[in-house]
Amino acid sequence: LTPRTEKMAVDQDWSSVYPTAAVFKPASVPLPIRMGYPVKRGVPPPKEGNLELMKIPNFLHLTPPAIKKHCAALRDFCTEWPSALDSDEKCERHFPIEVETVDYVSAGTSIRNPKARVVTLRVKLSNLNLDEHARKKLVKLVGERYCADTDVLTITTDRCPLRRQNYDYGIHLLTVLYHESWKTEKWESEKSEEDMEEYVWENSRSQRNALDTLLRIKASENLSPGTEEELLASEVVKNYRNSVIALKNEGETERNMSQYKECVKKLLNIQA
Amino acid sequence: EEIVLPRKKTWDKLAVLQTLASTVRRDPTAAHYMFQDDPFLMPRNAASSRLFALSKESGRNAARYIIQHFPQYFDKTFAEPNVPCLMPETLTPQTEGVSEEALKEHICLRRVKESVDLFDQLVQAGTPVSLETTNSLLDLLCFYGDGESTLEKEEEEKEDSEEAEKAPNRQLRRGSQPAGTRWSLSLGSRENNNAERIFKIMPERNAHSYCTMIRGMVKHGAPAKAYDMYMDLLNQRHKADVHTFNSLIAAVGGRGRGVFFKVFLNHMVQQGVQPNLLTFNALLKTLRRCGGVGRSMSLLVIKEMEALDIEPSLATYDHLLAIFYRGVQLPSSGIICEVLDDVEHRSFAAQDPDDGAVLSAVSAVLQCCELKDIKLAYRLNKAMEKGDNWRFLDMERLNTYWSKFFSLLCMMEQIDVVLQWYREMSPSLFYPSAKNILDLLQALDAANHLDMLPSVWEELLDELLSLQSRDQHPQEIQLAFATCAEDIRAAHEPAGRDQAPLQWTGSSLGHVALLFSRAGRTQDAWSMMERFQQINRIPSEQVMDEFLTCAKQSNSADAAVRLVKLAASLGLPSSQKLKSRTKKEFELSEEQREALESITDGDSSDSDQE
Repeated sequence: LTPRTEKMAVDQDWSSVYPTAAVFKPASVPLPIRMGYPVKRGVPPPKEGNLELMKIPNFLHLTPPAIKKHCAALRDFCTEWPSALDSDEKCERHFPIEVETVDYVSAGTSIRNPKARVVTLRVKLSNLNLDEHARKKLVKLVGERYCADTDVLTITTDRCPLRRQNYDYGIHLLTVLYHESWKTEKWESEKSEEDMEEYVWENSRSQRNALDTLLRIKASENLSPGTEEELLASEVVKNYRNSVIALKNEGETERNMSQYKECVKKLLNIQA
Repeated sequence: EEIVLPRKKTWDKLAVLQTLASTVRRDPTAAHYMFQDDPFLMPRNAASSRLFALSKESGRNAARYIIQHFPQYFDKTFAEPNVPCLMPETLTPQTEGVSEEALKEHICLRRVKESVDLFDQLVQAGTPVSLETTNSLLDLLCFYGDGESTLEKEEEEKEDSEEAEKAPNRQLRRGSQPAGTRWSLSLGSRENNNAERIFKIMPERNAHSYCTMIRGMVKHGAPAKAYDMYMDLLNQRHKADVHTFNSLIAAVGGRGRGVFFKVFLNHMVQQGVQPNLLTFNALLKTLRRCGGVGRSMSLLVIKEMEALDIEPSLATYDHLLAIFYRGVQLPSSGIICEVLDDVEHRSFAAQDPDDGAVLSAVSAVLQCCELKDIKLAYRLNKAMEKGDNWRFLDMERLNTYWSKFFSLLCMMEQIDVVLQWYREMSPSLFYPSAKNILDLLQALDAANHLDMLPSVWEELLDELLSLQSRDQHPQEIQLAFATCAEDIRAAHEPAGRDQAPLQWTGSSLGHVALLFSRAGRTQDAWSMMERFQQINRIPSEQVMDEFLTCAKQSNSADAAVRLVKLAASLGLPSSQKLKSRTKKEFELSEEQREALESITDGDSSDSDQE
């Protein structure tokens, strides 16, 4: 009872030996494979009757030549890529929203998988038509779903049982967010300093303190006190303002601290 | 610039799978895909392949039977989405009561007995049953003919041996009963069966009723009655339709040396009925039986078909070939070339139940009529490979086709071409029969290529040995076989330095031992038996029995005792039987008897080692 591996030609067509996913058949696979825990001071067991080889899923039916053949055959089912979309950024310009869905395949009696209903929408906020207020409001509304580094808003929905419903819900969410962020409610005028996303120098304590200090310096030196606007418009105050804003918004770096030091020295006329 | 989004393509449900399947081709070293791909479980010859295929099919039928008859165990559906064809059928009629709608529903559900009973009840109660309903009832009765359609038919078929492949073959089996008995036996075993009775009590009959009755009678083997019914139809001045004419021509047309079908054809013309493909095929079928008249008529028939623009199907060609190549004389071999021309250029769809026969007919023609034209055979092969043409042949016919092809090859072609085809074709396409092996050996002999023998030797060996040892042959032949067996044994010894010795298999060893023992060469047979233990194989019962018989003939009780010892050490279940047989048939000396007694089943524990 010779296995048929001995009769196989070297240049045979392997995809016809294993056309579909099948168990590992040692008499049909002409490879001298060994697998398993080695015998004491010996080698792993051979392939004949090797349960380890039979248990695992094998991909003998998807060798690269087989995949090439499949792709060549399936080419007729595909349509052509539009010739106008030949770069990534053109794709993004014309189709800013990316929708991601996942299909699951498994061996079993049922083709359904509850994970398949998840839909993810991704959009860059720069592609949306938002002014400053709308953008800030949108970012506040979505919270964690916005990534400031890449400027991408990601909406993941799975609250509906079907994928189509989830997709519709995601689009609906996007639309509602957009429209809501353009509207201004009455109570938005009560936005206080703690609600601000970034540091604004005008009308802040730092501005008041700086002006206060300058006025007092001028008064103690008996110089003519200028108006606030002149003081604000002066060079030192402007530099001071920039350095404080940089410190607060960007955090403490070497550069920011040294800049702040210089500006304070200039403001208070201290020569080190 | 403008972005043009292409329109989405839609395709059939199975299209993707079919395209992927088209990338796969036949694997030359494997058996048919339906068999388990294991060297022990692959069928070795044509008989066992047929057996395996039939057993698979019978397993499927058994499963279907269980599902149909015990549907209460199959009510949970696991598959998502549900596969309705695998679940038990629930066909219970919905409408209650005795009414025409209930009758229509029973007819729809194909319940023959119940429909007839319901019809009788309706007639007795006096409610008029409409013509269409009665016609459909007649259709049902004439089509099924037997008792219940599905269940009883299955049980009936279980008792006969079942066909492996397609339905067209099944219908042909029923023709063995004498004509007319089936018609009366089937529809209730009474004098006037149900269909005729209903027909008679119908207040009005239209052409449809007559036609149904005629077709039913022809189908179930009462052609004389069918002809009478047709005369009735003509008397009533109704028109028959094309299917009726087809069945009439097939059944009755052959009588009277081909006169009758001319009558039918004239009637068709008179009634303005257009003939179709099946008409011409039925014509040709009857012409087969008409001998010389048939040849000239058949050409006319073909011309008519062309004139009417009907494409001939495979069955047409089958009948043609049968008409022209009946008997040994060949008037013209031109027909087969024309037929092949046509066949090559078209891919066929099954239109007639007899389509499958043509390809084996062609190959038979090629062989038997000594046309010996290998080019035609190659053309036929290529024509077969186009499209779906393979589906026309079921397993037995495929085997015969390839057998004949191979023998033609052996006769006509060079030896390396033959060997190449041999490697391609077996075991995936066919199993070489005895004749094929002989042809191959002759071809090898003729080409002085006997050194190629070892490479094909092993496959041939088993077949050869099993052939030789299968039956008991007269004494000279046994001796010849024994010399052959000796040569084979010599071939299994390590021959020159370069060749590896061939391995003994259990069955071949058994066969050789058998042959030796039948020829009376006890010593050689005994050395064979000893080898069994060497190669860790077990001899079959037949081998042991034969050896014992041979030992008896040569009156060597010693050998018998040794045999029983061997059987016990190998742990065979038949060792007890052999022991008792030895005791009965041989005259044993004292020590032999003691030795025999001491061989108890305790020895069998030794044989449990690896």
